[in-house]
This record gives sequence, C-alpha cells and structure tokens, in this order.
Amino acid sequence: MSSPRFPIPQGTLDMLILQILSLETAHGYGIAQRLEQISRSVVQVNQGSLYPALHRLEQKGWLEAEWKQSETGREAKFYSLTRSGRKQLAIERDSWSRLTGAVQLIFDEGSRS
Amino acid sequence: MKQLLNWFRRQKLEGGLDRELQYHFDRRVNDLMSSGLPETEARRQVTLELGGLTQVREEVRDVWLTRWLRDFAYDLRFSARAFLKNPAFTVTAVLSLALGIGATTAIYSLVNQVILHALPVKQPERLVLIDWKGDQAANGFGTYNLMSYPICRELALRDRFFDGVLCRAATTVNLSTGAEPKPAAAEIVSGSYFSVLGVRPAMGRLLNDEDDGAAGASPVVVLSYDFWKTQLAGASDVLGRKVLVNQHPMTVVGVAAADFRGIDVGEVPSFWIPAAMSAQAIPGFDIQRDRRTRWMQVLGRLKPGVGLVEAQAGLQPWFKSRLYEDERSAEFPKLTAERRQAFLNSTIELTPAPHGHSSLRRRLLQPLWVLLAATAVLLGLACLNVAGLFLARGSARDREISTRLALGASRGRIGRQLLADSVLLALAGGVLGVALVPIALQTLIAFLPRDAAANALESTADARLLGFAFLISVSSGILSGFAPAIQVGRRSLTASLRERGGTTFGSVRLRKAIVTLQIAFTLVLVIGAALFVRTLTGLLAKGPGFTTTSLVSFGLEPRRNGYSPARANQLIRRVREEIGAVPGVERSAVARFQLLTGGSWNNPMTIQTDRRIITDRQVNLNAVSPGFFATLGTRIVAGRDFDERDSKPIGEAGSRSAIVNEAFAQRYLAGRSPLGVRICQGAGPDAKPSIEVVGVVSNFSYRGIREESEQAYFPILEENADSASFYLKVRGTPDTAFTSIRKIIQNADPTLPISNFRTVDEQVNRSLNTERMLAVLSGSFGTLALLLSLVGLYGVMSFVVTQRTREIGVRLALGATRSSNVWLVLRDALVMIAAGIAVALPCVWALGRFVESQLYDVKPTDPVMIAAATLVLCATAVGAAVIPAYRASAVNPTDALRFE
Repeated sequence: MSSPRFPIPQGTLDMLILQILSLETAHGYGIAQRLEQISRSVVQVNQGSLYPALHRLEQKGWLEAEWKQSETGREAKFYSLTRSGRKQLAIERDSWSRLTGAVQLIFDEGSRS
Repeated sequence: MKQLLNWFRRQKLEGGLDRELQYHFDRRVNDLMSSGLPETEARRQVTLELGGLTQVREEVRDVWLTRWLRDFAYDLRFSARAFLKNPAFTVTAVLSLALGIGATTAIYSLVNQVILHALPVKQPERLVLIDWKGDQAANGFGTYNLMSYPICRELALRDRFFDGVLCRAATTVNLSTGAEPKPAAAEIVSGSYFSVLGVRPAMGRLLNDEDDGAAGASPVVVLSYDFWKTQLAGASDVLGRKVLVNQHPMTVVGVAAADFRGIDVGEVPSFWIPAAMSAQAIPGFDIQRDRRTRWMQVLGRLKPGVGLVEAQAGLQPWFKSRLYEDERSAEFPKLTAERRQAFLNSTIELTPAPHGHSSLRRRLLQPLWVLLAATAVLLGLACLNVAGLFLARGSARDREISTRLALGASRGRIGRQLLADSVLLALAGGVLGVALVPIALQTLIAFLPRDAAANALESTADARLLGFAFLISVSSGILSGFAPAIQVGRRSLTASLRERGGTTFGSVRLRKAIVTLQIAFTLVLVIGAALFVRTLTGLLAKGPGFTTTSLVSFGLEPRRNGYSPARANQLIRRVREEIGAVPGVERSAVARFQLLTGGSWNNPMTIQTDRRIITDRQVNLNAVSPGFFATLGTRIVAGRDFDERDSKPIGEAGSRSAIVNEAFAQRYLAGRSPLGVRICQGAGPDAKPSIEVVGVVSNFSYRGIREESEQAYFPILEENADSASFYLKVRGTPDTAFTSIRKIIQNADPTLPISNFRTVDEQVNRSLNTERMLAVLSGSFGTLALLLSLVGLYGVMSFVVTQRTREIGVRLALGATRSSNVWLVLRDALVMIAAGIAVALPCVWALGRFVESQLYDVKPTDPVMIAAATLVLCATAVGAAVIPAYRASAVNPTDALRFE
C-alpha cells in the first residue's frame, strides 16, 4: 500500500466504467486494471464494488456483454458500450464538467475575498 | 419488470456470475504470483481486495432482483413450508378463497363474453347501431331496433358520416346439404355486410353488393366456419356445392373467417343469405324492399375522424326532409293527425355498437351485473373469513412473532411476511378456483336455452380470464392479509411476551369487527336470494294462466320445405285430423303463433262502440282454431268459442268474428260487455271496425309469464293456415304421445322437421330461464355466505371463550350461575349479529333499486322477505354461537383457576 488515496466519490464509478469502455471493450478484470492504472495515486476503487456496478449498468441497457476468448485463451465476459450507454456517458461527462466548473467558481470566489 | 424476468432465469445468471468472478480471481492471483508473491498470500490478498466473494455475489443479486423482491421470494418459501405443516387451516382458507375466486371468475367470463367482448372485426369501436326514434308508421317483425331495408340503402349514401352501412335480420330456415332438411339459423344480410364489418373469407369469397341486386337473382350463400367444419366435415370441395334453403337451390360461394360468428352473441348463424333472396329465406315474404316493413337491424361504420354525436346531428336535416318527402308520397298510409305528427317528429339515433346487436345481451345485461356484484360480495366474504382465520392463527403464532420482533426484525418486514402468507394462499385458491371455472361456466350456460341458433358462449378460460383471475387472487390475498398485518404494526412487544399464550385485546376487537362485517355481507346476499327465489316461485305459482299438465306443443312450417300455401294448408289439416284420432290425445287445437316464446303478433286496434276508440298500445294477437281455449283449459267467461260459422268461404279475406280477453274488455270497454262490439286491426282513419266480438276469454300469458296484456283472437282461417303451432292435451305420459305424433308426421312427409317439440311445462321453464338462473345462483351464494360467516362466528366465539376461561372460572367461584355465564358469552355474539344487521339493512335499501326490474310481485324492501331472511340469519348465527357459549357454562372453576 503506497500513499493514502481518496475513496472514489459516490456515483463516479459508473461514469469511469462507461469512459473506459468507450475506448475499447473489456472484461471485468481488464476494467479493474485500467481503473487501477488511471487512479494509481489518486483514488481508491474497491474492486468488489465493480461487479455490482457492471451488472447494474447492464440491466439499465447501457452495457452489453458477450462471452469471448480473452488474451490468456480462457473465456471471459467482455462488456461494451451500447448506443444509449454512449448517450449516458455524454450526459454524465457534461454534468460532471458543469459540477466541477461550478465548484471551481465557488473556490475562486472564496480566494478573492 | 426486468427484475421479475430475472427471477425465472436466476440459475443462468448465477452460473455466469460465478464464471466471471472466478476469472477475475484467477487472473489476479496469477498476476500477483508472477510479481513474486507466494500462492497462499496472493489468494488472501485478492479476497481482501474484492471484499469477499460471497459479499460481491449478494450485492450483484440485489441488482438483479431488487431487495424487496428477493425478500418476498424467501417469504413465499417460508409461508409454503408453514402451510404444509398446518393442513386443516390451509384447506379451509384455500377452499373459501377458491369458491369466491371461482364464482367471480365464472360470472366475469359470462359478463365478458356477453357484454364486454367486442366483435372480432376491423376497428369494432367505429361501429354504431342506427335506430329510428319515433313512429315509423310501419309494420314490423323481429326483436329490437328494427328498420326497413330501403332506409339502410339510403343511409349508405350518407358517405360524409359513414364508411358503409349494413343491415341484417336473423331467421331460421330449413337447410339441406344433401340429406334431410334441418332447421338452421341464418342471417339475411345486405351486400355490404362483410365489407362494412371488415371480415375476411377463410375460403372462396364473401357476399358483396352484386349479390344484393334484383330479388331472387343471386342464389348464393356463405357458410360459417363452424358449420363448415362440424356439419360438412371441413370438405375442401365445398365451394360451388348446391344446398337447399327452404327447398330453393343455392350455391355455396365461400366460408367466413374462423373467428367470425355473426354480430349476435346469442344467435350464431350457420350461414349468410343476401337480402335479395329474402322471399326464399322467409316463405311468403315478398316485401323485402317495402318502406313500411321494419324487420332489420341497421349498423354503420363511422368515417375516421367523424364522432358519433357529430354524425347523429349531421344526419338529422337529411332525415327530416326524407320524412316529409315520404309523408307526401302517394303510398304513405292514412294516419290519424296525432300519429302523422309522431312520424314527422321522428329522429335518427346512433349508439356505439362495438359488440354488435344481441337480444341475449339486452336480456342478460342486468342479471349478469347483479350476479357479478353478488359474487364480488361473496369473494369479499371469503377474504374476511381468511382474514379471521389468519388472526386466529396469528394469535397461535404470537410467541414466534414476538420473539422475531425482539430479535430485531422490523415490523414492516413481519407484516410483509404475513402478507406473503395470504397472497400465497390466495394464489393457491385462485388456481383451484380457475380449475373449477369451466364446470361452473357449463352449468351457467346450460341455464340459457337454445333453439336452432346456438349461442357463441364458451366455457374455456382464455388469457384475459386468467389475467382477471390472477388479479382478483392477488387483491383478495392482499385484502385478507391486511388485517393481520396491521395487527403486527400495533402489537406491544412487552405485553405479548409477558402474556401466557394469550393475545392483546385489540386482536379480539378486530376479529369481532370482521365477523360483524361478515354477517352484514351475508345478510345482503341472503336477502337477495330470498327476493329472487320469491320472484321465481311467484312466477311459477302464477303460471301462464292455464293448466300446463299433460299439455304438449310443437310447430310445423311446411312452407320452409317448399310447400305451396295450398299444399301446406292441406298438410296441416291432415295432421290435425290424424292427431285428433289418436286415442291418447284428449283434445287438440292449432294456433298461428306459439305461446311463451317472448314474441307475438301485435298491432294497435280500432274499437267501435257508440264511439270510436283507438287502443293506446299494441294488442297481442293470435289466430286459433275452435277448441283452442278448451285445450288450454282456459275459461270462456262470456259469449262463445269459435266454431264452423266463423270460417269464411274460401277466397274471402279477413275474419268475421273475434274473441278478446278480460284485460282487453277492462282497459277499453270499462265494464261494458264487449259482446257485439266491432273491432279491427290498425289505428288509421281508414281502419274499418267490421269484426264482431263473439266471446271473452279469461286472461292468460302469451309472450311470457310476467306480462299481462290485452289480447284479441281471430279464427285461424281454413284457407291460409300454412304454418301452425299444435297444442295437445294428452292422457298419460307425454312420451307416448310424442311417439305417435312423430309417426303421423313421418307418414305425412318424412322430410318435414318438427320444431319446438316439447311439453308446455318445459316451455314455461324455458321462458323463465333468467329468473331461474338468478334464483338458483343467488340461493347458492346466500347459502355459501351463511356457511362462511357461521364458520367465522363460531371461530371467534370459541376463541373468546378460551380466552375468558379464567374470568369465567373466577365468576363461578364467586357464585355466578352457569346460565349467567352462557349469557355473558352469548351477549357478545348478539352484539355482533345486531351490529351486522344494522350495517346491512341500509345497504339493502340502497342496492334495492338495482334489482327492482328483475323482481316480480315483490319489492326489494319487502318487509316480510327482509324479516324472514334476517330471522334465518339470526337463528343460524345464534346456533353457531350457542356451542361455544355452552362450553363456557361447563367450565370447571378449579380447573380454570389452576392455570394461574
């Protein structure tokens, strides 16, 4: 365990999963590794919460899954983004940037006075 | 919804999740090992990272099913186990619910088929029935909503409002498809019929406008799918085949779609004949295109975008001008100024007709809603019964529930568990109830008699019905589980754990409230049953006004077998003579129209005394042979019966004498003797009263037993009696008469069908089928209700006695008498019964007007009936309460106190 990391903010895990899958299809372990890389020094993802999230997104119709041969030759469940998943990602990205922008504004304001 | 689906494929989901997690686990362990960790350490770390595989699985399952659904599934499993352990309780509860659900579903099926089911045609919601409101200045035959054929053609031209207009009339013909002619139901239809409805052929073609041209020019028929399948064995070469309709050859050109059974659910035609062939389909009927004969129902299809109100308003100007044009024409009948005005004031009326047109629906509309309401009450009663049983069981399970509460189960969770209990029970009851539905439906349908035309009612349960049954099962489950669930919410934990096997006072109060409601529901049903049974017995006791014992009747329609009027007349006279000579036949007579079939020949009449009287309503008419009244056993109260003098010489039209009934004399001649008064049919200024009244006969029923009407009789004319209903008074059993009558007709013409061959007793029963259905069903509902509420009352009283054993023991020890203890318990029961009655009576008063029209000779608030029903209920209820009360008196004080 290296330096202390933030727990991932509520609700952002779904967005991160969608973002990762928007680049390429991946299986659960692959997504976990990508999350690990992205967030190595910043946020902490509980790997156990990845699977409920994946199944929730699949049930909402944002992801679809398919059993395919993985790079090790063993069958793995690969997730990919559906059309409505792409739309959802755009929405979440937009609201995220608006939220962070707004928060930034508030901080800027505070530092000026 | 998805979650529900997941429940059914959870095996597959679980397998997939296991593989997925295993893959993750193995890969991670491998990766860690290759970075130098020993295997055991790697495994430990991965498990830690994931936070435990079981935990992850549980969380994913929550995603699949949502929390409450999973809980509910577990609850159901738990309930099922508990029920299997307690079979007596389970059987009682399931049976009560099965009865309620089965009865409601069966009646609903009839309601659905007769009242709610739309025709299987293109956009049935755009169909409207077109009817004439006012005086059509026309003669009519048929059932309801009749208009003439020409007006149907004229309406079809109003294409601003209609996409087409059709007309139809139901009839019975003698049909032979190779072998002997058999009576068959047919529908005479305009050429537009099938295209307006949007029905497709299963084979060949359907009728079109070209088939509806010149009279007699298109001898073609279209068969119904059922007739083709059952009577012709689905022969593939049926197209082009010749069939004989009343001995007229016609060609089969097509078979209609399988699901289409005409537009009347109560009279399914075997085939369709174009209106141009009316003279062949109805022997002697050659005025198909007459404006002054109303005999067909007219239906139209509204144009898309045209509303019913808009179309109705839009049609009036055209209709008005048509009325005036008609009235000015030379053929218009001479009418009194009053009737002429009534004709000119007529309007056209549209009513939605997505269900087609049916006199069966008209007749059963109210009785079926009444029965559905009764079954709903019965179902409510069953729910209350189960709720009562649950409360009783709840107090037995008291400790279990209290313990669970003490261990930290939420009240909501336990309430849900109890609800799962009752829903499971109700579903079991529903399955059993639905299994009984086909049998119940067969019994119900058997109440409706059928002649040549069968009805389209089916006793099978379809998807819609199963949906209905499921819905009411779940709702009755929730209803019956409601009370016990509330009970948990109010429970005081410490009090119930402290008590010894007892329960809180609130539970008893709730149970008493339930029993009170049960008694109220029961009383409503019992009073309903009393009223309907009284109606039926009243009608049976009244009878048709003549002696029906050993009276047999049948009809002959030789014209339908291709007889000319003269030959038909000969045949009927021959049959009459031969039947008169049969030793078993005491008396015989002939009438033009059969009695007690619901229909009649009727017309307004003009009466000439010292002034001219026009009857203010239709007079029912019949033509009868001499001896008809004696055969029926009715009395000639004044004057004489018809005899040979009354038959006019051949070739002279009309009759010279008539007999009227007492009601006629009373209404129109107010005490004066009708003998010698002259009367005639018709109400116009040109009506010439030339027929002398020679006799007065006592009142008897013609159309049906309920009706009391003015009647007039003419002698059946020797020269034109070409069809007849025979009435025979026989000695001994009717069966021997049946055989000899059959032989006589066989000898006369082996191919001649005998219609409505039955005893008049049977005819009376048939004419009372709706009343019988109501009486039998409401009677059984009342009995069932009584039974259910007795069980409820007995249960709660036994419980009260057990609970108060200690108190009773103390009272006895302190010197109370045994009878005072009986009274102590009985008083409780009496309060419940009285409260139930107090709730029920206002309901009866309010509901009364919905059944009023179905009753005969009794008011819905009839004090005698209500008192009798209340007495029956009180007697049985007190009976049920006495047993536990007696047990209270038998309490041994030492035993009772030793419990302390």
